[in-house]
Order: sequence, then structure tokens, then C-alpha cells
Amino acid sequence: MTMISEKTGGIALLQGNESIARGALEAGVTFCAGYPGNPSSEIIETLAKAAKDLPIYVEWSVNEKVAFEAATAASYAGCRALASMKQNGVNVISDFLLNMTMSGTNGGLVLITCDDPAGISSTNEEDARLFARMGGIPLLEPATAQEAIEMTKWAFELSEAIKNVVILRSVSRLSHTRSSVQTGLITLSDAQPFFDTSKPYHTFPVVAKHEARNQKLDQAREIFETSHFNTYEGPEAPELLVISSGCPWNYAAEAVELMELGEKVGLLKIGTTWPLPVRLLEKYLKISDKIMFLEEVEPFLEDNVKSLAAQLGHRVGVKTYYGKMSGAVPSCGELTPGLVMKIFSDIFHLPGNTGTYKDEIDTMIADKLPVREFGFCPGCPHRASFYAIKTALAWDDRNGFVSGDIGCYTMGIWPTGFNQVKSVHAMGSGSGLACGYGKLERFGFDQPVITVCGDSTFFHAGIPGLVNAKFNGADIFLIILDNSATAMTGFQPHPGTGITAMGDVTEPVLIENICRSIGADVEVTDPYELKETAERIYRLMKKTGPRVLILRRKCALVQGREGGFPFNMHVDPNKCIGEDCGCGRYCTRIFRCPGLIWNSITGKSEIDRVICAGCGICVDICPQNAIIREGKVE
Amino acid sequence: MIVQTSQGQTRLINEVINNGLCVRCGACAGFCPYFDYIDGKIIPLAPCCSDTARCFQICPLAEHGEKNESDESGIGDYRKIFAARSTDPEIVSRAQYGGVVSTLMIYALEKGEIKAAVLTSRGNGSSPAGFLAESRGDILSCSGSEYTGSGGLSALNRALKAGKDMLGIVGLPCQMEAVRRMSMVEFSGENLSAPISLKIALFCTWALDHRAFDDFLVKNMDGGKIIKYDIPPPPSEKLVVQTLKRKMEYPLSDIRPFIQQGCLLCEDMTGETADLSVGTLEGSKSWNTLIVRTQRGEDLLAGAVKQGLLEVAEFPDENFNHLMEASENKRNRGRKRRIEKNK
Amino acid sequence: MSKADNMPLNLIITGVGGQGNVLASQIIGKAVVKKGFRVTIGETFGLSQRGGAVMSHVRISKNKNCGPLVPPNMANIVIGLEPLETLRVLAEYGNRDALFLVNSRPIYPLNVIAGEVEYPDADWIKDTLLKSVKKLYWMDGTAKAIELGGPIMLNMIMLGALCTIKNFPITVDDLKGAIKNIFPDSKLKANYMAINVGSGIISVESKS
Repeated sequence: MTMISEKTGGIALLQGNESIARGALEAGVTFCAGYPGNPSSEIIETLAKAAKDLPIYVEWSVNEKVAFEAATAASYAGCRALASMKQNGVNVISDFLLNMTMSGTNGGLVLITCDDPAGISSTNEEDARLFARMGGIPLLEPATAQEAIEMTKWAFELSEAIKNVVILRSVSRLSHTRSSVQTGLITLSDAQPFFDTSKPYHTFPVVAKHEARNQKLDQAREIFETSHFNTYEGPEAPELLVISSGCPWNYAAEAVELMELGEKVGLLKIGTTWPLPVRLLEKYLKISDKIMFLEEVEPFLEDNVKSLAAQLGHRVGVKTYYGKMSGAVPSCGELTPGLVMKIFSDIFHLPGNTGTYKDEIDTMIADKLPVREFGFCPGCPHRASFYAIKTALAWDDRNGFVSGDIGCYTMGIWPTGFNQVKSVHAMGSGSGLACGYGKLERFGFDQPVITVCGDSTFFHAGIPGLVNAKFNGADIFLIILDNSATAMTGFQPHPGTGITAMGDVTEPVLIENICRSIGADVEVTDPYELKETAERIYRLMKKTGPRVLILRRKCALVQGREGGFPFNMHVDPNKCIGEDCGCGRYCTRIFRCPGLIWNSITGKSEIDRVICAGCGICVDICPQNAIIREGKVE
Repeated sequence: MIVQTSQGQTRLINEVINNGLCVRCGACAGFCPYFDYIDGKIIPLAPCCSDTARCFQICPLAEHGEKNESDESGIGDYRKIFAARSTDPEIVSRAQYGGVVSTLMIYALEKGEIKAAVLTSRGNGSSPAGFLAESRGDILSCSGSEYTGSGGLSALNRALKAGKDMLGIVGLPCQMEAVRRMSMVEFSGENLSAPISLKIALFCTWALDHRAFDDFLVKNMDGGKIIKYDIPPPPSEKLVVQTLKRKMEYPLSDIRPFIQQGCLLCEDMTGETADLSVGTLEGSKSWNTLIVRTQRGEDLLAGAVKQGLLEVAEFPDENFNHLMEASENKRNRGRKRRIEKNK
Repeated sequence: MSKADNMPLNLIITGVGGQGNVLASQIIGKAVVKKGFRVTIGETFGLSQRGGAVMSHVRISKNKNCGPLVPPNMANIVIGLEPLETLRVLAEYGNRDALFLVNSRPIYPLNVIAGEVEYPDADWIKDTLLKSVKKLYWMDGTAKAIELGGPIMLNMIMLGALCTIKNFPITVDDLKGAIKNIFPDSKLKANYMAINVGSGIISVESKS
């Protein structure tokens, strides 16, 4: 029995994501689905662990669209259901989302989106809250882990009150922050799933359904007017009113305390961000002439409140606004305590109190600190794959390039992947782009394009591109990097791994079978065989028609957990010629595995025993055969 | 992302390869991980940071600033010149003309004068490439002329890296020049060309760009494996290409656009720095022209003749005059173009 | 250690992905909660685990839940699992009252290994820290970890040292109690040893 599935409440140290999971369990959630994506992955992982002790169902779906559709089905059948994803997942579900709000729900349905301000682990920086407005969906934003538990739990009630989906939005700084929380009781649902055939879920007539959806929103608004999730702290007539939603409230509260602005600044924390509780806002808009907005990432709350203020007109009066639109708050990136303190300093004309120490240190350090670039782990098969791809493209010499996709192998855009990948955007978009490149030959395009896609990515969104290529005759060469894991997000299972989120063994869906039945030429090989892989790629590049090369080799970290690699590595200093012509410290300078380091005193390369995983493939890159691979003795 | 260096890879890439002058002799490939030879092209694989890199030092098209005016004329320094042909029917059946090169190399190997031979093989029906032959069968498999740049010296480099010595090498005049330059370069305390025991040069007027020529053949041939190329002596003006099923003839004017630009700067038709040089004998399909230049070459020939492996005959005067003229013409054309280029 | 009774104790653990930074912060958090304190731990990970820097902000308070990030220049204690990453946080989070416990063993970034940039000199890193903070404990934690079984023991050694700091709210025994349900029994002994080794460091190393 884990802490999460403990039925009785108590004090616990929970991550934001764990708190969301706990809140859902306390609400008696029955059906949970999602797709891995930082910073959301721990929600489903936590629920999957709880599924060992509680009668709930949890799955990793093939993509977010299916996850949300599956959860919605559970809701239609009267179960409380949850779908969890990162911001990009909401993009993926958007067509279904914007339709299903028109036809309503039954059992409480909560959509959790975890956004990643500053794109710390994302390809973009995006604010999924805007979907709430576009879809007419109530939106809740917890600022703390405690609120996350309570809001998630309450979200199911709200959803059932208005009979529509509710969005709960978290950000990385909340999802991955651990704090002491008070948990409540877990209730188990005894609802028997049942689909009432007299109440179908369709969206016609469209306009009437749209109006009905808006009425539900009004209903939610009325409930929000008295919600205890919206709080005010501060003087009755502050000089500055800070209206915040989500995590930045913490920074504002601490800044007020540290800068002793308690008499001057009022903090209105909005937890029910959409629809706006208009009467509540009118009340507080009146108490100050200076209004500041703190939120991430877009000026969502800001725009909506200003629009409301304009509508209220003289009832609230003319205001001076400090926000993203005025330039007081940065329009991109995440907020920090330091940034908020600086904004307060500017508004109140206070001297910056920490500037001098920072300036002093910055001057001392100047630019002496090398950036720490991201890289593939030692033993990563992607390093081998990109090395083979780079070699083959060079041999081919037609200015070919790689079209990329989402996963650990996205790092192919950086030196760790030899800068091979020239575009990355969304799940499966690599194969879509390939369909474009693959039809440009008639206009004189003669550069070969290699599309790389991971195993999980292929299942998620790569298949339609391949079908299209076959159907429309696009010349696609797809290399699927199959490391048998959804690695970047934490090794979650996917249809090819043969095991589910809840740990059940299942028959794996074989990628090569899918590709063959689509009609592609399929080959499978081990990327650790560097030369052979490069030769195969080179050969396949000369062919036409849809070709799939599956480079199959387990993720090094997964291999590490399953006993590791079989080799002890070392460099023979008598054979290593270091920087001399004939080598030019090729292993450290070009191959760039962190297990290989340079000793500038001896002028030779060495294996870093602490880092080296023992995969042994670097043996094949040394021009002097100075890297020695020995089998480990048991 | 090419790092600027003074005498190394950057200059080779800028002044020779990207300048269109590379003749694919292969001298820069096969020794280090920065250059590869594949399918008719020298490929830089990664930026090298070595300041003084041997690749630039030995490239036959690289100009290091010294004056290239040689005193040579005609067919260069030589001791004797013969018409020659093999007496071995197996060799003759595989040979382009007289089978002299194969005979001499097989003899040198079997006699123990060399331990292996760097030759050019036709590859597995794809493109020609350097090959290290270590048996009679190996050598025979490389019989027959190629007309494209084929990176043969990359096999020499691989052999040198593997520590092999007592190597024989058959190559074009550009490859002989690369080997001569190697003899002036020391690396890790060793003269780079020291392990080479025997050099046989092939006459050459020009060579074709393999990839361009291959595209042409793909469009114009039947796709079958090519078993022989031939350019019959003037005034024929054609290239003959033979597969198992067909024999096609193409006017040389269709083929000349594929001549490697670097070849047009070459002044050496007969491989003037080799031990022996071998080429066609105009007017004959079964004899070769054989030029003997060094003591080593002379000794080897004498041995082969004594064993009855080769038949030699007096070299006809008319052929000699033609050979001198052709050789001088190439020298003058090349010199003129080189001077033009350097203006 | 804290300026006033209601101010949080701000601890930052910084290092490179794979060093067990996040686990270390969770263990501290668990021990602190057991002792009746409130704690907020802000973790930065994800892509950064692939060779990038990882930072945990551990904010310990008697009576309130703080925000997830330490405000500018308000770290009380910094545990540096790697010297370059330690120096990287100095300007933004350090101050003249801060205490730094730093493992001196570098993990070279890939661009350093490739010869494109130089890793700063170890003495210069140490000197810069010495000049800028109140106390610096500089130790080759990795060497000790390897003696104990492997570099992954580093984080427990550093936590052991942390718990011997005067006025730090948890003791070595609290720490040992906290890891009981985190590591399997087979690994507990090794981790206790690591904590013991760590707890002996500060008394042995003279404060610089």
C-alpha cells in the first residue's frame, strides 16, 4: 500500500503531480488514461501504482487523442474519468475536445494539462489555457500542491454539476515541486458503468448545442463567484493589486514578505481562471488603480480581466495595468521570485537590494563557465544511429539531411547527434514532412531526405505519414529508432514493449509488421554495428519508394537496469596517437561519447570508468584500434 | 564547421576537392577517419584539426608553392622499352591486352619480392575500388582496365596502417606522383613510402568521374554487369562498353564531359617515377608497351623473362615516335592549363 | 542558520543529471517532514537529465509552505555535487552568509571533452567560492564514493555531511531513518556507511 493509495488521509510529502493523482483518487476516479510528456508523466505513473491497491483502471494510450477519447467514453458510461497530458497533448486532442464540449458528459471528466513554461523539456513554450476559452470549458489553476489535491477532487463534482469536461492546469514548477500536504479520504466509486441510449452524445443541431455549452459555462461562473479557491490577502485599499493565477502567486507572496510590502500590495489569487467570476473581480478591481497580472505563459487572465474591466467601464474606473501587454512582465519564459521582486522594485521605485553581489560574482566569473550541453547517455543507441546516418549522408554527397521527431533522438539537432537533424516540431510530423519532400522530385528537388522517428512516436502519430507516402507515391525513407521504450519521458511502456501501464503482459504490436502491411520495404538491423548500418543506409538511400529501416537496440538506461553491458573498456596508450595526423583525437572531438575523455597531460584519450557504460561500440571508431574491449568477468 | 588550419584538410578541401580538381587517386583516404573513398568520390567525413596533415602534403594536385617545372620530356627517364606479352593463357584470357601487369605482379608475389599488391578491383558489379591482393587469384580478379577515378591508393593506406610492408602497387601516373610525395613525408619517424617495394604505372591520358559516368551508363546501358571497357587507339574515337549481353559503342565526344578536371592538368602520360610502366601497343590487341625505368624493374623483368612468363620483342620505331609525341602533347597541354589556372 | 524564526531555511542541491540529486532532495524532505517541519522542494529535471544540470531547491520552514524557488541570493546552504554547476549557481543564489559543501570531482561537459572549451581550473573554482561565501567545505566526495562501491554513493555522503552542520534541523540518525523505506534492505547497509563517511567529513576537514 503506497502513500498515494492510503485510504485515510494524513500529512504527506507529495509532488504536485502526485497531489493531482491523490485528488482524483479522493474523488473516486475510476478510469485514467494519458500519454507520457514532461511535466505530466508522473500523474498516470502514480495512478498506475495505485491501481495495484485500488479498483481503478489506468492506461498509457498510444497517443493523447485516444487517451482523452477513452476517458470520455468512461464518462459517457457514468464513470469518473481523467485524462492527463502535457501542453502539446492538448493540441493533439483539440479536434475531439472542441467537439465533445458540445455534446456534454455524464460521469465527472477532468482533463489535466501540465504546461512547460520556458520549454524546459519541450519543443515549444505554450499556454494550453487558451483551449479553455476556445472550447467553453471551465478552467482551474492550482497554485500549490494542497490546492492541486482539493481542486482536482472538486473538479469532478463541478464536471457533474454542469455535465461537461473541466480542465485543471498545472505547470512544471507545480507538477515537479514536492511539499507537505494534507490528504483527505479516498472514496471508491461503486458506480456501474451504463450508457443511457436515450441520451446520445452528438453535436447537432450545432448552434443550439453551442448555446447550451455557453449556458453550462454561465453555470460554472455562478459557482466560481463564491469559490474558496479565489482568495484575497492584503489591505482594503492597496496601492497595487496583483491578480495572479497558478504558481506565480507563490513568488508574489514571498516577494511581498521579503520586501515588506504588506501594506501596499494586495494579492488576489484566482484559482478559477475561466470563466471569470465577474462579480468577484468587479469587487476587487475597484480597490486599486494599479493592477498587475502574474501568470504563465500568455496574458490569458490579463486579457480577459481587461476585457471585463472595459465592459464594466466607470463602475471600476480607469486603471494602470502592469502585465505582459504593458511590458512590465516578460512576455516569454517562466516567472521567478527574482523577476517578480524586480517588477515590484520598479513599480515602487525601490533600489534593487541584491544587485551588487550578483554583479560582483558575474564580473569575477565572466564567461569562464562552459555551457553544459545535453547529450545522449553513454551507450545510447541513438549516438550510434546518428553516427551511421551522418556517415551515409556524407558518402552519398547529395546534400541530404535528416527530418526529425520527438524523443530522446530529438537531440540529434545538437553536437551529441552530430547536428544531423534539421527540423523537429510535433509528434509524427517528421513523416508528414517526408510526404512533402518526397514529391518534390518533379520540380527538380534532388536532396535525399532521411526521416527519423522513435518507436513510441511511430505508434503515436507516425503511421498516417507512412500510409500517405505509400498512397501518394512519396519517396520516403523512414528510419525508426526502436529502443523499446518511451525513453525521454521516463521509460513508459508503449504498444511495442509488450507490457502495460499497470504491469500486465501483452502481445507487442510489431512495427515491422505494420510497415510491411502498409507496403513499405522493411529492413531491421542493430545500430551498434556502425559500419554495417551506415552501409545499409547508404544503399537504401539509392532506392526509391517507401523504405523503412528499423534500428533496434535497447535504450542504454533500460539496459543498465537489466544488468548492464558486457564490456570493460580501456584505451591502450601505446596505440593511441592522440592529436597526431591520422587521428586528431577523433574519439573525444568527433564521436563525443561522455565515456571517452581527453588527458591533456599525456596527450591521449582515456575511458572514464565512472561514466562509461561498457557498450563497446567505440572500438570501431578508433583509427588505431587503440580502444580495447574486454568481456567482463563474472 | 571546417576548422581553419594552415596546411591540412582545409586546404585540401578548398584548393583541390571543392575546386573540382580531385582525380580520386585515393592518397588521402583510408589512413585516417577524416577522408573516405566511396563510389568514385573522396568524401571529407569530419573536420580535422591537424595543422600539418599528410593528406595535403601528398595530394598530387596540391600545389605547395614549389615550382613544378620538370626537366622531363618525352616519356621521362627510362632504361629500355619493349613490346611485351604474357605467355600464360589464363592471364591472357582475363587481360585487357597483353597481360603484362598481371604477370609481373604475380611473379613478384610468388617470388617473394612483394608480400601483397595494391590494385584496383571492379568491386561487386558496382564501382571500382582499391584492393589489396595477396594471391594469384586476387591479382587475376583485378585484371582489365578501368577508365574512372577509383581511389586505389585508399587500399595502400589501409595496408600501411595495418603495418604491412613489401608492397607492390599498380597505379596511374597521379598515383605514382602521390607515392613520390609520400616519400618526402615523414610521420612518426618513418618515411611514408618506405614499405613500397615495387611500382608499376599504367599509361593514362585521362580518367572519368565515376559517379557522372555511372549515371550515364545507367541511362544508356542494359543494367547488366559490365565486363569490359575499351578505348581502341585513334582514329577510332569511341568508348566500347561490354556487358554479358551487349556491346555498346559511344562516341568519345559524349564521354569527354565526364573527364575529371584535374586530369587536364596532368603532364605525365606514362608514369615517369615508377619502376616499370605499361600501356597499350598501338595496332595490337595482344601486346603491351613496357617501359623499364629502374634497376629493380629491370631485374624483375629479367627474372620473369627467364622463367618464360613473359615474351618481349623489340619496340617498333613508329610506335616509339607516336608514343613520344602523345606523351609530349599531354605534357604540354597539362603545363599550359596549369599555368593558365595559376594566373 | 535562518535569519529570523519564520524565515525558511533554503538549501540548494546542484549537480549533473544522473548523480541522484532529485533522490537526495526527496530524502531530506522526508526526514524534515517526519520531524514536524514543512518543506517545499522545487525540482528541475526532464531533458536536463540527459547530461544537463539538475537543481533542487529545498525550502524548510517551521510553519508555512514556501514557493518552489529560492529567491535571489537567499540560499543558506548549497550542496554542490559537481564543481562547475556549483559555481554556476553562485551569482544567482549565493551570498556572504552561505555555506557551501562541494564535491571537487568534475564531470566534463561534452564540449570540454571535445576540446572546444576549457573546464575552469579547480583551484580557481575553489578560490572564487572561498572569496564569496561564508564557509566552504571542499572534498573529493567521488573518491570516497568509489571506495564505498561506486560514484552513485556520492549523494548519501554529501547528505551525511549536511546533517552534521550546526543548527541543521535534521541529524544523521534522522537521515538514516528517512532512507529506511526508500532503499531495499540489501542496499541499506551501504547507504548507512556512506552517511557515516559523510558525517565524518566536516569535523576532519578544517573549514576554509
